[in-house]
Amino acid sequence: MIITINGRQCEAEHGEFILDVALRNGIQIPTLCHSEALPGLASCRLCIVEVIENNWSKVVASCVYPITSEIEVVTHSEKIKRMRKTLLKLLGARAPQNAYVRKLLAEHEVTPAARFQGDPDENCIMCGLCVSACDKIGAGAISTVYRGIAKKVSTPYDEPSKTCIGCSACAGVCPTGAIKVQESHGKRIIWKKEFELLSCAVCGKPFITPEQIAYLKAKLNQEIDEILCETCKRKAAGERFAQTCADLTASKGLLR
Amino acid sequence: MTVEKNSQRILSYTRDVMAGYPREQRFTLAMLQDIQKKYKYIPRESLEQLSDHLGVPLSKLYSIATFYKALSLQPKGDHVIRVCDGTACHIRSSMVIVDELAKILMIKPGETTSDGKFSLETVNCLGSCAMAPAMVIDETYYGKVTPSRTREILNEYGGVDCE
Repeated sequence: MIITINGRQCEAEHGEFILDVALRNGIQIPTLCHSEALPGLASCRLCIVEVIENNWSKVVASCVYPITSEIEVVTHSEKIKRMRKTLLKLLGARAPQNAYVRKLLAEHEVTPAARFQGDPDENCIMCGLCVSACDKIGAGAISTVYRGIAKKVSTPYDEPSKTCIGCSACAGVCPTGAIKVQESHGKRIIWKKEFELLSCAVCGKPFITPEQIAYLKAKLNQEIDEILCETCKRKAAGERFAQTCADLTASKGLLR
Repeated sequence: MTVEKNSQRILSYTRDVMAGYPREQRFTLAMLQDIQKKYKYIPRESLEQLSDHLGVPLSKLYSIATFYKALSLQPKGDHVIRVCDGTACHIRSSMVIVDELAKILMIKPGETTSDGKFSLETVNCLGSCAMAPAMVIDETYYGKVTPSRTREILNEYGGVDCE
């Protein structure tokens, strides 16, 4: 079906989320808690848009709003801009010194409200993307604990988790860089747990924990004979591909 | 009683609770409530056992246990006193009741007496606004509580030894 975003006609599948359609068509909607690899959380609320249907307008979170009819979407109406500013003001109050939040505030021309005295050491905006990533990857080592103003992300009993595999996916998806990972001398410390780091067989960069290897082996149900970092793995695959192409050209006498 | 023996009993009771429900994730809260009812808190052993049994990560159970005010991870006294501090009770001076109880028991809300007899808590509403200020000890409700009545009520539970 065809939907209209900011006056532009966009092709969309039934049930697709507005945000995905917008991004595919190069229409920018600000987000914090969105990751393409994970389901929408609708917790940061920055991706709010106005949906106009049957002359009625409503504000929805575009990352979780499924398209079921030929709607009209406005991503930067005056109302949305005003609401987004308020949301950013609150985020700024939560994590006043966070570099990324400050950047967003500047981009949207929001001045932090003086009456909010946030904790200068706070970087987490409680979006829960890290928890979602940890669940998806399978370890499920972290979760949100307590409630209200005491709510935070933590391992059970605030202790080093037995199930954490040290993959640092949580830190990787965190939009504000709130999760601290320390890496030095072939060791990684995350969530108070220390991991040994294994090195890439080619470039020698320490990058993966033995727990991750064991987890991958169990999940893929196969042996992992060579430990390669992402860059070297890509390089090896590229070389293999180039070799195959060269072989094919040579054997069949094909010319480009 | 030794620590191991106590731990064994907890594990055995948790097994009984788990046997009473289908092995499905949606019964998590019901199971936790049963354990809470028996021990007045959720022992760590129980939480770990439940995690294995249901195949739910421990972090998720810990999240539930810390979210609900009716569940506790800290051991409680033999009798749990919950004083309502909802709007209706608050304007009828529920804090005076809390202060009085705190003075008699020599503990602050959220704490347990050193003899392990009483725990004092405040809650946001007991749903008994008509009899404000209200409090509940274990499962017995007391309405229109006055500071002078508190000691009397505590006596029903064996009173306070440490004075």
